[in-house]
This record gives sequence, C-alpha cells and structure tokens, in this order.
Amino acid sequence: MSDLLIVEGLSVRFSGLTALEDVSFRLNRGEVRAVIGPNGAGKSTLFNAISGYVTPTSGTVHLNGEPLTVLTPHAIAERGIRRTFQNGGLFPALTVLENVLTGLHAQTEGTFFDILFGRRKALDSEAANIARARDLLKLMSMEHMADTPAGDLSGGQQRIVEIVRTVASDPPVLLLDEPAVGLSPVARDQMMDIIRRLAGEKGVGILLIEHAVELVMAVADKILVMAAGKRIAQGTPDEIRQDRAVLEAYLGHA
Amino acid sequence: MKMPTARQRRLRTILFWAVPAILLLVPLGTNAYTQFIVNGMLISTLVTLGFTIVIGNLGQLAFANTAFFGIGAYGSAILAAKLGVPWLLTIPIAGVFGAAGGFLASAAALRGIRSYYLAIITLAFGELMRWSYLHAKPLTGGTDGLPMPRETLFGTSLTDDTVKFYVFLVVTVLLVKATANLLASRFGRAVMAVRENEVATASLAIPTSRVILVTFIWSGFVVGCAGALFARHIGHVFPESFGMLHLIASFAMVLVGGLGSVLGAVLGAVMLTALPEYLRAFPGMEELFFGLIVAAVLVALPMGLASLLRRLSPIFVERFYREAR
Repeated sequence: MSDLLIVEGLSVRFSGLTALEDVSFRLNRGEVRAVIGPNGAGKSTLFNAISGYVTPTSGTVHLNGEPLTVLTPHAIAERGIRRTFQNGGLFPALTVLENVLTGLHAQTEGTFFDILFGRRKALDSEAANIARARDLLKLMSMEHMADTPAGDLSGGQQRIVEIVRTVASDPPVLLLDEPAVGLSPVARDQMMDIIRRLAGEKGVGILLIEHAVELVMAVADKILVMAAGKRIAQGTPDEIRQDRAVLEAYLGHA
Repeated sequence: MKMPTARQRRLRTILFWAVPAILLLVPLGTNAYTQFIVNGMLISTLVTLGFTIVIGNLGQLAFANTAFFGIGAYGSAILAAKLGVPWLLTIPIAGVFGAAGGFLASAAALRGIRSYYLAIITLAFGELMRWSYLHAKPLTGGTDGLPMPRETLFGTSLTDDTVKFYVFLVVTVLLVKATANLLASRFGRAVMAVRENEVATASLAIPTSRVILVTFIWSGFVVGCAGALFARHIGHVFPESFGMLHLIASFAMVLVGGLGSVLGAVLGAVMLTALPEYLRAFPGMEELFFGLIVAAVLVALPMGLASLLRRLSPIFVERFYREAR
C-alpha cells in the first residue's frame, strides 16, 4: 500500500519559539491517525503547517507524491486535503445547505462570464451540486435542517455539518481538529461512527486531534503523541497506553 | 428560514422581468420634471448596488464607491467631450475605468488593510479623486466642470429625458440581472463565506483573494457605468457631485434598502431619491424630516426595507443574500 500523505521533518519556528520540531509520519488510505498531547504541544501548528496556514521553516509534506509545502491553503484544499477548525469553521449566516455547497466550490463548473450571463453550463452544475449536497445531508439525517441558518444549530449539529462540508468534495485526506469537543455522549458516539465510516467505507485518510481519550482509543489505528513541539511516541493505541514517555509527559503520572 | 417554493421561485423570475417591462410605460405618465427624478432613481440603483455588494455581501468597510462613480462620470465625459466618442459607447468603457478603481481599492484590502483602516484609506482615495478633478483642468475643466457634447440617438436629441430613460433602464436592468446571477452562484456564496470566516473559506479550496478582487472589480464596473449615465443625466460633470455628500447619501440608500440585498438596493435608491421631492412641501424642514424618516426606517427595520418584504413572503427571500449575524 502506497502512502497517501507523507510528512517529513516538519518544523515551524516563530521568531525564536519552536512550535514544531522535526515531526515525521505517514498516513495511508483508510487510516485514522490521532494526534494527542497536552496544550501547546504543537498539534494545531502541525495541522496549520500541513494545510498551508503556516509556512514550515523546514521539512516537507507530500500528497500522493506531490509536494505541497509551497502552496496556499486554498490550493492545498483543492489538491485534496480538507480540514475542520477547532472553534468551528461554519458560516453562521448561511443555511446548512449553502454551507455544504461552499465545500463543492471547486467542483462547480462555469467561468465568471458563464455565471454573469446565466449560461446553462453554470446553472446545471449548480443544480447538480445542490442535489449532491442534499443527498449528503440525508446520509447524516440532516436534510430537514437544509434551510436553517447554520448559526441556529446545536454545537453537535454544527460539527456534523462542518464534516459534511469538508467531505462533500470526496477529499482523500481529512484533518479533524477536535471534532468531539463540547459534544454530548450521544453526539460523541455519532461522531465516532462518522469517523469510522469515512475511513472504513470511503477510504479517507484521517488525521485527528482530540482530547477525548476514549474516543481516540476507540477509533484510531495509530496514535502520534506530541509534547513541546516534538513527537515523543507513535504506535497503536495499545502500545501508547504502555509507553513510559507518554505516561510521563502527557498523562502526568509516571 | 422559510425558503420559497418552486412555484414562488417561478413567480419571482416572472416578477423580475415584469417590473422593468411595466416600467417601459413610465414615460407615458411623467412630465419633464418627474421623468428627470425617475432617471436619477435608476442611476442611484446602480450606485447602491455596487456599494452594497462590497459592504454587505463581502463585509468590507470600503468607501471608494463615490470614487468609482466619479471615475465613470469623468471617464465618460472626457471621452465624449474631448475625443468625440459616442456616449453610448462610453458606458462600458466608463465601467472598465470604474473597475480599475475597484482593482486599486481591493489592493488595499488584499494587503491586509481592513476594517476602519480600509474605511479611511478608501475615503482618502475618494477625496484624492475629487482633488484630481479640480486640478486636472485641461482634462476636467476644474471647478467649471465638463459639459457633455450634444448628440442624437436614433434621431432624437440626447437632451430628451425620455430617450435617456430607455437607455438608463436597459443598462440598469442588465447590470442588476448580471449582479443577481453572480450573487446567486457559487461566487456569491464564496463572497459571503469570506465575510463570515475568511480562514475557513480558504480551507474549502476557495481562492479568497480572487473573490475579494473580483467583488471590488465588479462593484467598480457597475458604479462606473452608473457614472457614465450620470454624466448624460445632468449633462455637465462637476467635482462637487463626487464628494462626501454623495457617499453618505449612497450609504443611507444601502442601509435603508437593506445591506447586501439586490432588492434592497433598488428599494433604498427609489425611496431616498423620491423622498426629498415629497419633502419640498415643507420648506425649511426638508433635511430634518429626511433625517427623521431615515432614522425611523432603520430603527423599525435594521435590515432595511427588503427585510420587511422578506417577512411578507418567501418570494422575496433572495437566493444570494443572508444577513450577517
């Protein structure tokens, strides 16, 4: 099995402060890899460096063999790495359906002038995307909320819509930044189920930042443990549970 | 939110074309004076439309709108008066000049100048343009302004307000329709997405810089075209037409109609163009009443007249605008 995403020696320094130091790992198709670590460990910086929001000081990111390190966030997203945001990245004023449609922006046909003159090509492509967005919402039992402004949804529903929006374009890689934070136990189970299905049925490679340890242990194939910007351990959930360095640095009781 | 049904959407499309079709009959019911006012409404509609997409849909505090308007008006007048270009032909060219102004304004936004800083730098841009009209005398005539040359169109003199009306109406309807198409597409959604959360927008493979650039350019194009109409409308362009007063009046039209709404741009422009004419009945009190009425509308309807219609029927729910929250 060839590697989908290869991260090699990734480092990020902000004027003297090292936020990320020499982090390397590989992500396969259909694999869920969790990134855990205490606050300030560099998890979000890792996500920002992969998705282009932060320029790495050194190191490389390759998707299907193509280097991504020099690209802007939208270009990286277009290549197939989509992400969610810790604080929620939905557009609150737009309806649920419109939010999902923004995820299909790059998949919509028609140039600026096709749109301006209302040409068939642009209108048909838009209609096809609306149908697709509705189908996706139906899969998540969210179709009755399609015309509700996203800002009116509960926290759990917002997280789900954000994931629907990021997977609408069938990206090969998904970065989920704390998708279960603030969710009720029921919603958390639903989230676990969604993550498993995306990896298992659609073969999406998922990188997951999450503090909920039981969720991580339940869905992750591999866990990457970070502290102070460095990788301190990597392995299966069982291996991580027994790792001394992890117990000391992360769980705090050696 | 209550969305229009398929039948209501069809009705909306019919209305969109029926209204201008009925407006073709307007000259039958006007005199020279009221026709002049109606012509002004069409120009204000375009000025408001160009303004509202930048501050309402894109959510950028850019006040270069009057600059685009002046660039379009002087562009048209200079081409017509100095180079003998037929006025009709100067309309799209003035649009391109306005678009160039939009490009300049977007450069500030794209360099990270936002919010109040963008507001002040775009205001300065407008004042700089006004200063240029005053001082580039060989081109603009300075304080004396620049008269539009006499011309005929289809054998009728272009001093005739009825002839102007038909040209203005066609230009306005085409630009409103094109803008509505734009805002109802993936592009319009991307524009609002940038307003709501620019960082998240980029993560969806949407080129945010290009979205900002194109919105400013389109705004400049629409308002630049309106400038060319204005030059013919008053027949003589003066620097004073493009000062703070015009900017504030346009801003009021945007807000009274409803920020970011195409329907609102039309309603705001029509209402605030007509209102001063009705207030002539109260000499000495006109400004006071004008201010009070604008304030009353905004207190009662913070999202403008368009929000009132949206509440009445889902027909008026635009496909392409959601209020910021």
